[in-house]
Amino acid sequence: MKTIKFLTIAIILIFTFSCEDDNNIGVDTISTTVEDLHAPLEGGQGQSASGSFTKFNFEDGIQTNSETNWDIAFRGTSIIVNGGISMGTEDEPERNGNGAAYIFEGTMNEMEIVETSLLVSDSQNSYAIPTGSGNGWYTYSGPPNHLINPTPGKILVFRTHNNKFAKVEILSYYLGAPENPDVLSDQSRYYTFNYVYQPNEGATTFD
Amino acid sequence: MFTLFLSLFDSLGQTMVFKNDSIENNLDEVIISGTKTIRVVSSLPLNASVINKVEIEKTNATRLSDVINEELGLITVSDFGGAEGIQMQGLDSEYTLVLIDNQPLVGRLAGTLDLNRVSVGNIKQIEIVRGPSSSLYGNNAFAGVINIITDEPKQGFNGNVSSSYETHNTTDSNISLSYKNKDFNGSVFFNKYSSDGYDLIEDDGLNTVNEFNNNTLQIKLGYDISKKFKVRINTRHFTQMIDNIAPNNLSGETFTAEDNINFIISHKSDKFNTDFEIYFTSYFGDEFLDDELGNRFSESFYDHILLKPEIKTVYKIDNQKEFVFGLGNEYETLNRTYFEIEPKQNSPFIYFQYDYKPNEKINLILGGRFDKYKEYKSQISPKFSGIYKIQNNESIKISTGYGYKTPDFRQLYFNFSNSTVGYSVIGYNVVEDVLNQLIDEGQIANIIIPIEEFEDPLSPESSFGVNIGYSREINEKISLSSNIFSNSAKNLIDYRVIANKINGQNVFSYYNVNNVSTFGFDINTKYKADNYLNFSIGYQLLYAYDLDARKAFENGDVYARLTVDSPAFRLKKSDYFGLYNRSRHMGVLKINYNNLENNFSCNLRLRYRSKYGIYDSNSNNYLDKYDDFVNGHITTNISMNKIINSSLTVSGGVENIFNYLDRQNISNLSGRIYFLRAKYNLK
Repeated sequence: MKTIKFLTIAIILIFTFSCEDDNNIGVDTISTTVEDLHAPLEGGQGQSASGSFTKFNFEDGIQTNSETNWDIAFRGTSIIVNGGISMGTEDEPERNGNGAAYIFEGTMNEMEIVETSLLVSDSQNSYAIPTGSGNGWYTYSGPPNHLINPTPGKILVFRTHNNKFAKVEILSYYLGAPENPDVLSDQSRYYTFNYVYQPNEGATTFD
Repeated sequence: MFTLFLSLFDSLGQTMVFKNDSIENNLDEVIISGTKTIRVVSSLPLNASVINKVEIEKTNATRLSDVINEELGLITVSDFGGAEGIQMQGLDSEYTLVLIDNQPLVGRLAGTLDLNRVSVGNIKQIEIVRGPSSSLYGNNAFAGVINIITDEPKQGFNGNVSSSYETHNTTDSNISLSYKNKDFNGSVFFNKYSSDGYDLIEDDGLNTVNEFNNNTLQIKLGYDISKKFKVRINTRHFTQMIDNIAPNNLSGETFTAEDNINFIISHKSDKFNTDFEIYFTSYFGDEFLDDELGNRFSESFYDHILLKPEIKTVYKIDNQKEFVFGLGNEYETLNRTYFEIEPKQNSPFIYFQYDYKPNEKINLILGGRFDKYKEYKSQISPKFSGIYKIQNNESIKISTGYGYKTPDFRQLYFNFSNSTVGYSVIGYNVVEDVLNQLIDEGQIANIIIPIEEFEDPLSPESSFGVNIGYSREINEKISLSSNIFSNSAKNLIDYRVIANKINGQNVFSYYNVNNVSTFGFDINTKYKADNYLNFSIGYQLLYAYDLDARKAFENGDVYARLTVDSPAFRLKKSDYFGLYNRSRHMGVLKINYNNLENNFSCNLRLRYRSKYGIYDSNSNNYLDKYDDFVNGHITTNISMNKIINSSLTVSGGVENIFNYLDRQNISNLSGRIYFLRAKYNLK
């Protein structure tokens, strides 16, 4: 008797969950890891930064040179979105999409629904992902190690240039994502990150 | 000159005496730092201890940091500049007041007062008072006080010369001469301490400790004008020269000069003892680096002056009651590179202390001090302490007190922009001026903290401490003493981002934020096995927390990742480890062997520190149990002394016998160190 009751409940539960899944009609989310995306920078360290940004497209999951079909772009520790206006540094690409971002505090799994009211685009005064240690995605360790490490618990939430959503957890800023980077021997400005992309128009969850 | 002295005094010799380090002897030790009056340590209702000359000489320590490191509950911590400061009851070195002959040392470049400035060659004793002591000393006596008392001349001519040589080509040489007759006394002490330094990490273009050369000259003169009137003058002059090297073939020098002059007139009568003192101290530092071609790459200087007149009267009301009253003024200036202005400060102070012994068993001390400040809130520092003798060899004591540290000039007036990285640091009081200037120059992208928030002055950091102690002589052989301590510190000053610059870097300034709690207990046991052998063993348990950090863990706002490619997870309250550089467990074991018949002594000292964190390796801004830690370790030192004849003593030993090294994390352990020392008494 007990077993039958349990089975019934189980079946109902499974049914309910699969129904919810069915609400997101269409394509499955894409969950992947990008390794060693190179984001070179010229100048910096007190001098004005220059050099072209490394543009990235979530849907294709690759670096792109397209002038329109990009979502976010990297240069050194700076991350910009394809939306809003330039802060006026040299070589910033033209923003022609509807990109925006905010930082969610929590784990990747806890980031379930995009709070669209928190989304901001790049502006004249600051990027949507703020620069500087502790402000955005990284923590600068200072002396003696001088490392740039992703701050755990900072999930970057993006609206793509064409109004889809992605969540990103940056894992490493060093080539090969070494366990204990050494600022003298490991090359920096190489991003390794996990992301989940929701390809369905209007869907704000990442199930 | 040397031979002249030798021939002046015939060498009948004042012997170095190995005192039997018995419990009885320790009971007689007196201390001045706890009350500004001379008191026997064991009956003082404070958590106080004394390291005497015999103990220092037996270990053959040449540096104050060596002595401090072997005292239970005290450790020295090196800052990035290499300066070694004292951590007391889990509070940072900037919160411990360091005195020489009852007068404060100045010159804390980044908060740390470098203990290596102090030679131990002419130290009579080191007094340590744990727990906030601002009721007597005002500013800086936040965690406690360390008072280094130098030798006083003994009757007639006395003198000694000593020299030691150790690994790293380190030499320490002393000449000490003194004379005393019925109404005049004087002493001269000279110390030269130099070393080639050492390098723990090759190929980084830097030395761990650069080659240096320190000289100290101390002259003390005293004259008894009459039975009641005495005048004394103490002077100390210290210089240090360090050869700097830096990456990219930069080289230069750091020069430091320190002067202390204390002039004292004392008057004694049946009821009143009055001292009038004028103390002047200056600390001057100059540092530069040149490139290969001799062009100046960087230069900075630091010039700190303190002038302090003070009058103090001890009024002995009767055998039970004593009253201490004092007042004075501290005048301080600092001239420094990267300062917006040259700050000057006058801070008058007044204090009292009431010492009451209602009967043989009880002693109560009540005290307080008022310091008037212009730039920040004036401070009232109360204290209360009491001791109860349960029986002759057993007592309990309690002391509570308030301590504070005013914001230092750097926190108020700094104006520094890093030329390579591009960030800026601005002192609290000059934020408006400097930030407006940066805005005018078009350097500011965003203001994060509105300028209006800097209108109220920065508050002094403060702490409230409680120490409860119990001590007992169990029998003639065993004694123990134990203390429970707690310090709650608030308004600790930290820095935060106040604006973003257009170059992507930040502008920082200081603010009152941290609330820190340290608590724990220590226990010390002494065991005298026989006439030759005695042991002492001590243990300290310490918890040191930033309360806001603990709250962040409690609220689940802190995350970590186990490996570089694994996702972040949320940390629990129990994952918070506490403050950086604090070991939960510390232990000291000392074994002394004294053979009076053969004029030989030997001692072995072991010191243990459990693991501690020195940086946030997982970048979540907190020290948690997933961070990298410095391993717990034991260092072992051995020292031997042999009296050859009435004049000559030779010593030798090994520090860090087992060659414990952690090159990345422990900069003041340079491996095994051998030393040899000879001391010659002149008379």
